[in-house]
Amino acid sequence: MVLGAFAVLLLLDPLRFASPVAAPDSVPDWATDPTPVRRPSESPEYRVGVFRYGCSDCHRIIPSASEGRELPIQHTEIRLEHGINTRCLNCHHPTNRDAFVADSGAEIPWNQPQLLCAKCHGPVYRDWQHGAHGRTNGYWDTSRGEQTRRRCIECHDPHKPPFPSMVAAPGPDTLRMGRQQVGDHAGQDNPLRVLRHPRVDGAYPRIDGAEDVLKEGP
Amino acid sequence: MDVRDDRPSPGTPDLPRDPHGGEQSDGVSRRGFLTRGVAALAGMTSVAAALSPLRHLDRDDIPSIAEFFQKHYKEMTAEDKQEVFRRVQEAVKRHHGVDVELADPGPLAGVEFVYGLNLSRCIGCRKCVHACVKENNQSSAPEIEYIRVLEMEKGSIDVETANHHYPEKVVPDADKYYMPVQCHQCDNPPCVKVCPVEATWEEDDGITVIDYDWCIGCRYCEAACPYWARRFNFTEPAVAGPLNTDMAYLSNRPRPKGVVEKCTFCLHRTRVGRMPACLEVCPTGSRKFGNVLDPDSEVAYILRHKRVYVLKQDVGTLPRFFYYFDERGSRYHEPISEEVGS
Repeated sequence: MVLGAFAVLLLLDPLRFASPVAAPDSVPDWATDPTPVRRPSESPEYRVGVFRYGCSDCHRIIPSASEGRELPIQHTEIRLEHGINTRCLNCHHPTNRDAFVADSGAEIPWNQPQLLCAKCHGPVYRDWQHGAHGRTNGYWDTSRGEQTRRRCIECHDPHKPPFPSMVAAPGPDTLRMGRQQVGDHAGQDNPLRVLRHPRVDGAYPRIDGAEDVLKEGP
Repeated sequence: MDVRDDRPSPGTPDLPRDPHGGEQSDGVSRRGFLTRGVAALAGMTSVAAALSPLRHLDRDDIPSIAEFFQKHYKEMTAEDKQEVFRRVQEAVKRHHGVDVELADPGPLAGVEFVYGLNLSRCIGCRKCVHACVKENNQSSAPEIEYIRVLEMEKGSIDVETANHHYPEKVVPDADKYYMPVQCHQCDNPPCVKVCPVEATWEEDDGITVIDYDWCIGCRYCEAACPYWARRFNFTEPAVAGPLNTDMAYLSNRPRPKGVVEKCTFCLHRTRVGRMPACLEVCPTGSRKFGNVLDPDSEVAYILRHKRVYVLKQDVGTLPRFFYYFDERGSRYHEPISEEVGS
């Protein structure tokens, strides 16, 4: 009779299996956006609000900034955090502000910033030339399509060159049932290392059954 | 004397007494009938209950005759393939409501793909993971991701202490470095060796592919892979968002329930000359891809000139996925806390 009731229960299926897997989360759009982190200005210009000035518009008549570290009255928004490179004119050309300066004092065109960075960052420049550093997008087979090589300042801010930190995209959540409870391995992250490291007071952390193993030894 | 005496009187035959006390006239007692009837009913109901899940069968759970007699991918003629592709297109239309062109790009002559990943530059942002999911129509619930970004302790390459569940925090963590792991497209692939039905094989350009129509879901390959690169569809995959219609038979077409899938270096992209999706989205340029047989390619340069690390080299899988390092990473200036390594 019990069996029969159980069978009827199964047949009527009042407790139908409902998947505990939650609905998929939407992934933020930025997580799949391939555009570079920076979009540097394409021309030597200075923007104040809606106004745009060519660099040389002012610097043709205004004398060059001092060689000191102190920022002048203008450009106060620029904070130069480029390691030991603390002088504006290490990179900017002293007389032609629409160009950068080479070691020889010659001009490096505005649109060739990698030549400027190469003055100091030799190994990285070498790797970039061969594609081992920096972004290469588009087609690996250039006979079939266009390939884009990103240049230094499309990822690095020249005034603060370390690659910017960002918030990580969502991590794995296989069943979307919340984080699984991970056991506390006697305060250690790694269960395999619990027995090898005695605590400061010399005692091994307590684990059920572990004492027996330790007493018996190998 | 009217004395009741249950003892059989001497002289009367000793009739067997029915233990249930019922009538014995036709050999079936009422109690026996009820007992056996209930048992039979319970049995039949049990069978019906056991079969009841069949009510929820989808049409696609039962293979059609053509599907049943479908040949192995390598044995199919061009006409066979067109027939199969048409059937897959119909299934995609039925399930997802979109018309797709199912491509089947073959390996390119003189091309062997190799992947390079710069551990000095990866910041662990996990954008590659999500670009991959979007590109390859992976299931979102339950979740299938081909790429796992391991957060590693600085000072060694010890996957034992790696954590791929690090939260959505600001990365990179100054005390950690990051190592994304995906299919290494081995030249000596253990996953291919263990497949009992040859549903997975290594192609001429080095990509190990799976015919989802041939896979029986035994998951031997998943167990054999030392990189945890293969994923199993325990349920019907639920793709979040619109389907990527740029699909190929051996890569990102929607998978059925009960088959294994994995990274294919986006062969529907890379076999027509494009970069894989994970590389395109990488903000740091840590990911490098190309034809290693071309001496001018980026990956050929990396293998010749950079310090290269092969994950689990000792297991002899000969991966086509190489981690490499710079002389000095961009993060050399970051402090390392004193706790590391203690």
